[in-house]
Amino acid sequence: MKKLLVLLALCLLGITPAMSADNYFCKKDLEKLPILQGGRVKPLYVHAAEAIKNLTGKSTVGELSAVEAYCLLSLNGMGLPSDIKLEARIDHVDLMKFLGLEKDQHTIAYEALLAKEDAIKSEVRMIKDNESYKKAMGKLYDSIYLYKEIKAGDNWLLAANINNHIEWQPIVVYLTEQKVIAQKALTPADPFLPVLLKSKTEFDQANGNEKYELELVYAKAGLATWALTLSIIALATLVLFKNFNIALGIAGFSALVQIVLIAMRVIISGRAPITNMYETVLFSGFGSLALALVLGHFKKEKLFVYMGLAYNVCTLMMLNFANGMLTATISPLVPVLRDNFWLSTHVTCVILSYGALALSWILANTVLFKRRWGSITKKDELMYADIIYTTLKWGTTMLAGGVILGGVWADYSWGRFWGWDPKETWSLIVLCTYMAILHGRYTSWIKPARFITITAGAFMSVMMAWFGVNYILATGLHSYGFSEGGAIFLGSFFLIQTIILIITNNYEAPKNTALEA
Amino acid sequence: MKKFKNIDWDNVERFIGSLKFAVIVISLFTLSMIIGTFLESYYGTDFANRAVYKTPFFMLVQFGILMSIIFAAILRLPPKKRLYGFYTIHAGLIIIGMGSLITYVAGVDGQITLAPNEPNRQVILTKDILKITYPTEGKQVTTFLPFSAFKTNIDETYDNINIREYIPFAEGKFVWSDPINHYPEGAQIHSSKYHFKNAFAEQDITLSIHPEAGNDFQSNMQMGPLAFSYYPSSIAHCFAENNPSKIIVWNSQTAECFTPESKAIPVKTTGANNRFIVIPLGNTFLTFFPDFSPFPMDTKLQTDEKSNIRVFSKKLFEEKPNLFLFGKKVSFYSKAENKWIMEDIEVGKKAVTLPWMGAEISLTVHQEKLVPFNLPIATIPIQKNGSLIKGDIRAVRLDILGKEYWVTNYSPLSLLVQGKKVVIEVTKESLNLPFELALTEFKMDKDPGTNNPASYESFVKLFADGATSSHHVFMNNPMKQSGYTFYQASYSQDSQGQYNTTLAVNVDQGRVMKYLGSLMLVFGAIWHYNLNNKKKPKKDNQQDPDDPEVNT
Repeated sequence: MKKLLVLLALCLLGITPAMSADNYFCKKDLEKLPILQGGRVKPLYVHAAEAIKNLTGKSTVGELSAVEAYCLLSLNGMGLPSDIKLEARIDHVDLMKFLGLEKDQHTIAYEALLAKEDAIKSEVRMIKDNESYKKAMGKLYDSIYLYKEIKAGDNWLLAANINNHIEWQPIVVYLTEQKVIAQKALTPADPFLPVLLKSKTEFDQANGNEKYELELVYAKAGLATWALTLSIIALATLVLFKNFNIALGIAGFSALVQIVLIAMRVIISGRAPITNMYETVLFSGFGSLALALVLGHFKKEKLFVYMGLAYNVCTLMMLNFANGMLTATISPLVPVLRDNFWLSTHVTCVILSYGALALSWILANTVLFKRRWGSITKKDELMYADIIYTTLKWGTTMLAGGVILGGVWADYSWGRFWGWDPKETWSLIVLCTYMAILHGRYTSWIKPARFITITAGAFMSVMMAWFGVNYILATGLHSYGFSEGGAIFLGSFFLIQTIILIITNNYEAPKNTALEA
Repeated sequence: MKKFKNIDWDNVERFIGSLKFAVIVISLFTLSMIIGTFLESYYGTDFANRAVYKTPFFMLVQFGILMSIIFAAILRLPPKKRLYGFYTIHAGLIIIGMGSLITYVAGVDGQITLAPNEPNRQVILTKDILKITYPTEGKQVTTFLPFSAFKTNIDETYDNINIREYIPFAEGKFVWSDPINHYPEGAQIHSSKYHFKNAFAEQDITLSIHPEAGNDFQSNMQMGPLAFSYYPSSIAHCFAENNPSKIIVWNSQTAECFTPESKAIPVKTTGANNRFIVIPLGNTFLTFFPDFSPFPMDTKLQTDEKSNIRVFSKKLFEEKPNLFLFGKKVSFYSKAENKWIMEDIEVGKKAVTLPWMGAEISLTVHQEKLVPFNLPIATIPIQKNGSLIKGDIRAVRLDILGKEYWVTNYSPLSLLVQGKKVVIEVTKESLNLPFELALTEFKMDKDPGTNNPASYESFVKLFADGATSSHHVFMNNPMKQSGYTFYQASYSQDSQGQYNTTLAVNVDQGRVMKYLGSLMLVFGAIWHYNLNNKKKPKKDNQQDPDDPEVNT
């Protein structure tokens, strides 16, 4: 009934000259509206981008921004037709076959999917053994549900002050004929936008606007891209142009951008910035750069800056390009993790230790390459082994601290210090692996050349503990960071690292080669 | 004795404290853990614990590590200043090891489930037990079952009950078995296996009214909106009568039935237009309100749910899809024809078409006396999304007076052994707390606008020493009482929609030692690795004369 009333009102009012016939009132101004979705309040800009990306795999729809596309689709719920056509991305071969797509046809219109909805529902129930097909089908089914929800106008929730209490209403309920007619008396050219923007005013008056407006700034700033650019420039300046001071300055600036990025996420989410894969990768990259700069300063060793920057570039690349695996979405935490003290001690400690161990991995692989294809002396090799040993000491000390803090937290919240949960167990495996290497090196049982090779390979245990438990084992009490694409990434990492170890094996530095480090 | 004297104990000491031994035990430990995590991923936490983490081999490896740590420290005595950090780390590890041992031996790790306003003191622990109860004598015997990952033979006897085999992970293989007890000729104890099919799914359904059919085979089941009810074949004729009142009176013990019309019993109506009938029974009368309850009501309008005489109002089952099965007959209400339909359903004959979305049902097996039974077969379990989807049956094979019996965690066994009633169960070890707990409220907050839980909170009443106190248990906020600590662990919802809470119960006497050892380990590591700046790894052709590795 309300839909009809709004449609009637629109007909009566006529489409005003200020509104384009195609886009109605779907304008950029809407992006700052607060919306309740996914368990928290965020700007429409962020939610629309996430929803459109989820539906189409892209951040825009033709020339329309995500906000415009989301708005136009939602207006269908009020009986306002639009030409917008959203297409789902289909990559799974069996799913393509089921939907009758050609070999090179990877998209299908959502309207066509709606016609097949019952068949899809039936197929989801019937699939028994083909896990990946079932997963792809389930994901498609979820996307169709989201599309229908947006199209019905039920996904777009607006804040309304009802008796001094904020209630979240779907746009089809919020945008009443009464409100539009009242506003038309004030702004005859475009009564709709002010009515919608009033939702923001009402929410701001009741709850304040600091967090979600900061999130809008954060989402638009693209700080991860800036940080990546700066770190690449710093690395290039150091390696190609060999200008240490400029490289150091740019690296410092990149670290500063990352501090702002992390700080913004902390303020927006209200918790330590280490609760999903995106944040752990971000924090580990930043932590290792910061640690490298500090160690480099105190040890008076420029090589640390190279190690920190190289690993920082790796992590920032992942944040910017591995969107299938790492999602930047800020979501509420599962109940057990809602303890800022333990999050910011146990997880920080573990992730920083991974960052420190990653520094050793970077240098070890660099030496393997130099030894195989460049030139290196025994003296250099010893020096590199010494630097790697330093980072390992830091990494294992922090990891031991982190594992123990995890045990204390588990004891505090689950009632047991240790429970052989896969995440706990793998962190202990990493600790044992590195302790064995440290003992071997300390007693000279492992020679420097072998030590470097082993260190390069040992990082695979870190990757298994960090990513593998979530992406490969996918079980246990710590199951909070699961997403897709991770297994392929991890498999590729293991394969490449193993190939590097094989092809660089048995190459040792000649004793009297000229120093070219 | 002479052999022991001949052993060069210095050499043994040097070997156990050597790096080689350390690397061997650490490698075994690491490899076992890697295998454990993969086993857990595929086969579940319990299987990984039984196959790796709680095995004697893994304990031995951990003992080896402890010995390596102790001897590595002893060999580096008398104390040297540069090794102070090293001594602290090793002492810390030894203390953690001892703390863990104390927890393992004396600690309590279990769970207690609390239903609203029902005091409970029973904590369920982790060990599997076989419980034999003699209800008439008030006697109970329990025996621990082996903590193994695979089928284990046992040969333990108690009062004619011989325990032969334990299967920790089993799946049921459907068989028809002979009944344990004797039943009179013509007793209504039949069971049937049907094949149900509609546009979305097809499934075999086994329904039984046999008293020995376990929980797997009941007389009622629900499949989506469709309810299946299985009744004695002897009452099918009453369903077929199509009597105007649509009321059937039946005796659940004798499986006899009649309609009020057939015995000229009037169906009356109260002032509020509610139907009721009065059935004479010997010298007394039973009053039924068939549209409200199948049980008779007393003068205080309380239902007597123990009554064998019950009424059935077909009217109540016309709105939603309900299928009534009587072995070889099937009855349902057809909205299109506006009447109850009774059809014959024979083994191997044509399926009966049902009036719900192209559904049909056929009879595949019908047994008058045999009992449907899931015979436990040992299997490797499979875990998916945190719970076992295969192998969740724990089964014990018994030999009682030359006859084989199975008891599982789902199907306890109840029988007469030489005239004595015995109940045998496969269950978990339990512990009775010296106080009682009751749940007053369970609260689950959700993230705004979603169904995702944001917090689980239990409001608990504690009854101890004649006093009552209230407590609030939630994630990261445990409750402590008389040495026990209670943690919010889980929750469940019963059939009435009420929330029950599950609290983890823990007593850990080794906690202080584990914390102390941990502190020493971390500070020792900082001291050894990060404060001993002068110490660098040795050049490769130089050896530390103090290092016992040189001599091994």
